[in-house]
Amino acid sequence: MRIVAAKKLLKANDLLAAENRAKLAAAGVAAVNILGSPGAGKTTLLEALFAALAHRARPAVIEGDIAGALDAERIARLGVPVVQINTDGACHLDAGMIAAALADLDLQAVDLLFIENVGNLVCTAGFDLGEQMRAVVLSTVEGDDKAVKYPAIFQGSDALVMTKCDLLGHTNFDPARVAADYRRLAPDGRVFEVCATTGDGIPAVAAWLLGSEGSGRERTET
Amino acid sequence: MHELAIVEALIEQVDRELHRAGQTGRVVELNLAVGRLSGVHSGSLRFAFELLSPGSVVEGAAMNISEPPATCRCRDCGHSEPIDELAAQCPSCGSGNIVIEGGRELTLDSIELEPNES
Repeated sequence: MRIVAAKKLLKANDLLAAENRAKLAAAGVAAVNILGSPGAGKTTLLEALFAALAHRARPAVIEGDIAGALDAERIARLGVPVVQINTDGACHLDAGMIAAALADLDLQAVDLLFIENVGNLVCTAGFDLGEQMRAVVLSTVEGDDKAVKYPAIFQGSDALVMTKCDLLGHTNFDPARVAADYRRLAPDGRVFEVCATTGDGIPAVAAWLLGSEGSGRERTET
Repeated sequence: MHELAIVEALIEQVDRELHRAGQTGRVVELNLAVGRLSGVHSGSLRFAFELLSPGSVVEGAAMNISEPPATCRCRDCGHSEPIDELAAQCPSCGSGNIVIEGGRELTLDSIELEPNES
């Protein structure tokens, strides 16, 4: 006999993501899912953003890593509330992990929640965490063909942050090419060029984050 | 390798469907749709299934995977064709003014059971 199921296999994740989204919205927290390769500069970007956001929004961070708490220690040193998730080998964060981490944060004391995903340009794209915004971080040393080669992660994202732009000229990275490729995948996405260690371009990213605050935009999956 | 997490979700889903239908028979076949733009690799899915199925309700079941393509439709020239990979421009006229539909399915469509002999 046949049982007709017709069920989405990531449905459990989608349900948990919807719960996270509702919980964050109720607490007035805007959450941004930060995606990118290992070494793209995700944590360094966050460190730079905290300075730019000082006195304007209260940040908190959920750090996703396969192992260790190095990134969480860096964040904690700056006095920002942080919860470390170790995925024990899993290549992405999922909504269930975020639900557990949210229980460890005082959401009433947070305006902007950064969820730094596991460094991975592939698997992280498939899991909605309940975030309002999705930002992809791509460094100038990774090559300017990544939007073409890993389209899923860029598609439907809200922003592309190109990091390590102080190295432009030392590599053959063409930011205009990346921006053009990105626009085809995310026509409404914002594009930023920054150098997190000098702070160049960081105010624009901070302004975007503050402007999007509490917008409660729903991600739509097709 | 998020295919492992997906197979875990698959096994839980099969379990729920059997309970819901009040069935206890042996699962002989699972029919899945994995769209070509879903980002999920059927080969990895089969590998994860071999790892995780022993001892579960789906032990010994065959996994049939259909891989529906997506359709790229051009808003400028009206051309429409199935695609296996995410396209950035119309394969016919090169316009970037395209719509990509479907191909993202990741579903458990049906379960084939061998009823218990009574």
